[in-house]
Amino acid sequence: MPPPTQRRTTARRLAARRILAAAPLLAVPLLAVPLLTVPPAAPPAGPSAPAASAAPSPAPISRGRELYGISCASCHGQRGEGTQYGPSLKGVGAASADFQLSTGRMPLPNPRALPRRREPAFSRRDIDALVSYVASFGPGPAVPAVGRGNVRQGLAIYLRDCAACHSSTGEGGALPAGRYAPSLTASDPVQIAEAVRLGPGPMPKFGRGTLSDDALNSVIAYIRSIPRTSGAGGWPLGGVGPVTEGAIAWVLGLGLLVLVIRALGKRAR
Amino acid sequence: MITRWAVRRMLWWLDGRLRIASVARKALAKVFPDHWTFMLGEIALYAFVSLVATGVFLTLFFEPSPAETVYTGVYGPLRGARASAAYTSTVALSWDVRAGLLMRQTHHWSALVFLSAIVAHLSRIFLTAAFRKPREPNWLIGLTMFLLGIATGFAGYSVPDDLLSGTGLRIASATLLSVPVAGPWAGFLLFGGEFPGTSIIPRLYILHVLLLPGAIAALIGAHLAILVRQKHSHFPGPGRNQDNVVGSKMWPTYAFRSLALLCAVFAVTFGLGGLVQINPVWVWGPFRPSAATSPAQPDWFLAWVEGALRLFPPVEFRVFGYLVPAPFLPGVVMPGLTFLVLYLWPWLDRRISGGRGRHQVLDRPRDSPARVAVWSWAVAFYGLLLLASSDDVVARYFEIPVFGIVRTMRAVVLVVPVLVAIVAYALAKALRADPGATLLDLRWRQVAAAFRRRRPEARAERPAASGGEEAGA
Amino acid sequence: MSGRGRPGTDRLVAAAFALTVLGAVFFAAVYVLGNRTQLLGLALFLAFAGLAAGFAVWAGRLLPQGPYVEEREAMISPPEARRVFASELDRDQEPVVRAALPRRMLMLALGTLAVAFLFPIRSLLFSGPTPWRALGRTAWRDGVRIVDAEGRPLRPSDIARGGIVTVFPEGRVKDDHAMTVLVRVDPARLALPGGRGAWTVDGVVAYSKICTHAGCPVALYVQTAEQLVCPCHQSVFDVLKGAPPVAGPAARPLPQLPIGVDAEGMLVARGDFPAPVGPGYWRTT
Repeated sequence: MPPPTQRRTTARRLAARRILAAAPLLAVPLLAVPLLTVPPAAPPAGPSAPAASAAPSPAPISRGRELYGISCASCHGQRGEGTQYGPSLKGVGAASADFQLSTGRMPLPNPRALPRRREPAFSRRDIDALVSYVASFGPGPAVPAVGRGNVRQGLAIYLRDCAACHSSTGEGGALPAGRYAPSLTASDPVQIAEAVRLGPGPMPKFGRGTLSDDALNSVIAYIRSIPRTSGAGGWPLGGVGPVTEGAIAWVLGLGLLVLVIRALGKRAR
Repeated sequence: MITRWAVRRMLWWLDGRLRIASVARKALAKVFPDHWTFMLGEIALYAFVSLVATGVFLTLFFEPSPAETVYTGVYGPLRGARASAAYTSTVALSWDVRAGLLMRQTHHWSALVFLSAIVAHLSRIFLTAAFRKPREPNWLIGLTMFLLGIATGFAGYSVPDDLLSGTGLRIASATLLSVPVAGPWAGFLLFGGEFPGTSIIPRLYILHVLLLPGAIAALIGAHLAILVRQKHSHFPGPGRNQDNVVGSKMWPTYAFRSLALLCAVFAVTFGLGGLVQINPVWVWGPFRPSAATSPAQPDWFLAWVEGALRLFPPVEFRVFGYLVPAPFLPGVVMPGLTFLVLYLWPWLDRRISGGRGRHQVLDRPRDSPARVAVWSWAVAFYGLLLLASSDDVVARYFEIPVFGIVRTMRAVVLVVPVLVAIVAYALAKALRADPGATLLDLRWRQVAAAFRRRRPEARAERPAASGGEEAGA
Repeated sequence: MSGRGRPGTDRLVAAAFALTVLGAVFFAAVYVLGNRTQLLGLALFLAFAGLAAGFAVWAGRLLPQGPYVEEREAMISPPEARRVFASELDRDQEPVVRAALPRRMLMLALGTLAVAFLFPIRSLLFSGPTPWRALGRTAWRDGVRIVDAEGRPLRPSDIARGGIVTVFPEGRVKDDHAMTVLVRVDPARLALPGGRGAWTVDGVVAYSKICTHAGCPVALYVQTAEQLVCPCHQSVFDVLKGAPPVAGPAARPLPQLPIGVDAEGMLVARGDFPAPVGPGYWRTT
């Protein structure tokens, strides 16, 4: 597990800024809101088990096998050999299983659904159990360890390799064929590292040959820093740039002023 | 009392040298029509004042240079990073200069409000046919200010050298390059070489802070001088005719009303500037030609061109064996035609209004269903292009495949404006038959009747609705 | 002058201006205490809204409302004035009209001078090659090493299958005209146009990173579909088939860079792009 990279001191300042950023939202409950909010994720497919008490004991493979049989085997096969509904899991490794399960992408609500971030269906302890079980199908990449990174270096790499899909703001963006690059704001450092190294779904894979571990740590440090500053100017309008800005200029800017001139143009009787 | 005494003294001092008393008296007694739509242009004027005021503040901190510098301010992710002076000084302006971000954001919001007020003003002039003789000069000047305003806005949001605006410059460069014959030279002369080069930031800066706003200021002067000389037009009504203006006097009522509007514009722009974030350049990051961020849109006043670029099918053709690239038709010809038609409109409109006479009394929009139809077509067409420019944002947040949107919009953009125009035509015609009615009073029967009515009959009603015409020269 | 409710209205206007005083003091106080953009904006909003409200109420309730009528004169001079002006214009112009030779020479002189002043426009392009020369080729040559943005040379194995990396010619990592993407795919799935069989190494293909539509960096790679996508206008290029556009507004493929490996196993270019990179322009190729 990663060492906490954020500085606690900024947290309070951030909270205050959030409140301020929300002020116009409260003052002007307006149309743009549907544009600004991501549609709610579907309800989790399975029951959320109670949080496990923290003892990091080696997760029992038997528990993993049991959960696998209930939630995964119908698509991925009894021993991860794959079926017509889902790919083989032989050799995908712990990293992939951890990414898919901890971001709630797996299990899918139905075999045709597109994987997307949801509330995880399992507790952390059950995920660990499943991960070790899936990893036992064959050798594959282990869950990466994330260390401290250099935010400044991370910014440059993020803009070069990530922002084209995930946006400078980390809010994500559209891809062809109805897919989209997800928002990174909900991702934890290990999940980001797993995604970068594995290239889940449409995402390209960045191996150590083109992105060193140091560079990866830096990118993660930068991504984690974005929410602290992305609303410094006030209500951030969804972080999508000129589209919402233009709407606000017309509706709030010119709209308010038209109300003003309508009042001014009326002569008192 | 002291103020009053001082003002008197100053006026007498001036009058003793320039003989201004009678001119000043006329100015104080100038009558402004009371209808609220006459103040749309004033919003634009005061937004320009706000732009100049905040812009002067920004020039004291912004460095229009592509030279690589090290940022040393409080914004963490960039501290110690190398980027152009234009970019680092904009970030410093936003994070390190006290009240700098407020001024920067207010400046940008003012620009958006400035241009949207111009469009609203233009719509009012168009729908009421205020561009007719003798006001063609002010129509032409107003359009030129609109064009210069778009150019100034583009130059302004491009100078910070951030990743988002750099992408916009890149597209502008490609669009310029697409012009047959002269394109490559035009692009290379503007950028001082191949994109991005090192000349474009200082060049855009001098355009943005001196040449373009100077031209706009001069044209504002001309616009207002002509307005004073010609006096306002006014809507038809009891006691209003071709030979008078009815309304409030400049002093004191209208002056106070106008001051109220000036302050309201400042309240709105500073309110937006402080509370609503715009163009967070520190988040976009510094421009690198190999990097990109998405979604990437221009500000709304250019997004209609961007929408056309996105929708236009992948068609390139050759003339005498030379390539005419895809951006040429949507990026150069379409906007060019748009402004050409706008510039020629006072003369094209004679076919609708059928006269060369002078007009001091305005049409009501319903008096000319054809004009309403043209305007509605334009609002729908350019509005849909704006929507098309945000296709990736729409795709992302409504989870619709982006190419579905593009394919649908290609048809929608051609068909829907025509339907909108037909409906608007029918509504205007139905309203014309019932001068006292508003849109909400209309019954379906009246609209249907508007379709059935024959043209000559409609023509015959016209003089009753519009003001009489003065004999032409 | 309407005197209705005057004392109350006076107080209302005064209250509005008092709001401005509060806003201004608030602004100054916030400024002194620190840089809080939201509070500064709120303060100025209150200050100007107070002024606006005060002026508006003053204008609407205390000042004379009219309506006033102002006569207007026609925007055309009376015929007599036109006639007098015309005769003034004509009176002494005989020497101007008659002197055809000087007049024509003057036109020629002014025209020539205007043309002469067009020449300095060329100075705007003060360095570098002329457009067609610069646009038509890049710095890639046979044997030039391929390096990443940090200047490190790459082996084919450095790129993961399903991965993408932005590369430049060695020693020119700032040469944006030459920027290229390397993508690694399953070599068996490659179906490049004829004659390009030897342009790849172990499934690594190289394409210009500049979109052929409007020049944005084609930075988006959809690994599952093996497509490069331009983030600006969503043009899509098929990596397996030589990057022809398959959707969006781009009409020409991304030019492919022929690549190979040198004696040390490092990736090198095997020549320049076969076609000009980037957005189109007036050219015959």
